[in-house]
Amino acid sequence: MQGIFGGTPIAALEHTLTFAQRRHELLAGNVSNMDVPGYRSRDLDINEFHNALAESIDNAARPVSHTSGPYTRDDLYSGPRKATEQVVFHDGSDVSLERQVTEMAKNQHLHGLAITTMRSQFALLRAAITERA
Amino acid sequence: MLKALDISTSALIAQRTRLNAVSGNIANMSSLTDETGKPNPYKAREVVFQTDDSISLSGASGVKVAEIKSNNAEPLHRWQPNHPLAIQDGEWKGYVAYPNIDLTTEMVNAMESTRAYEANVGVMEITKNLSRETLTILA
Repeated sequence: MQGIFGGTPIAALEHTLTFAQRRHELLAGNVSNMDVPGYRSRDLDINEFHNALAESIDNAARPVSHTSGPYTRDDLYSGPRKATEQVVFHDGSDVSLERQVTEMAKNQHLHGLAITTMRSQFALLRAAITERA
Repeated sequence: MLKALDISTSALIAQRTRLNAVSGNIANMSSLTDETGKPNPYKAREVVFQTDDSISLSGASGVKVAEIKSNNAEPLHRWQPNHPLAIQDGEWKGYVAYPNIDLTTEMVNAMESTRAYEANVGVMEITKNLSRETLTILA
């Protein structure tokens, strides 16, 4: 028998929230260090996270224990990733305020989306438990 | 999550320090003597920032003031032979030494510092919004 959260996307949403919160911290650090000469912005790869999450969901759906792919890190979104594609300014820094704020807004949107979905999932569970719509 | 507030706070403190230095530079643009009253024009102070890894979580770092340096540029000499602080002998006889502070540079620094301060306040608002949203899961 599956747990009460089995078959719901709550676990995936929890991972999404954790990812969004950690990414927000990195972006906040980038804005803080905007005026530090030589500072290189840090970020997490959202595509890699999405791929890892999708793979994790696929694996969870399989009945047998399945080891995940050839990852070397325990936690796929635990560490910062140095941005490489951005323009380097004359002081050696590559922090573009516009880019950071845009990424932060997108990240906030992702966070809000996950929260809203999670709340509706809990509302559905509550309705099922209480047998009331 | 709340660590992001600490990171932004470190930036606010650093930018405030920088703005204080700029204010001091502009205020002392005409200071010809030092604290003891001896002729010694004020030297502009420059705040140096550094990434602060002690405020760190998940690889994000804060910022701190590494040091406040005095700008040792040559003073500006103005020909004022009747001024009480005019140099009495040597190459600059008859000149008065003024602080070498460029008002335009200082104003640009002040504006940049203010904008960075505002940006970090904005980030703090977003951090609080994220925390508030997360708490609504309990509701």
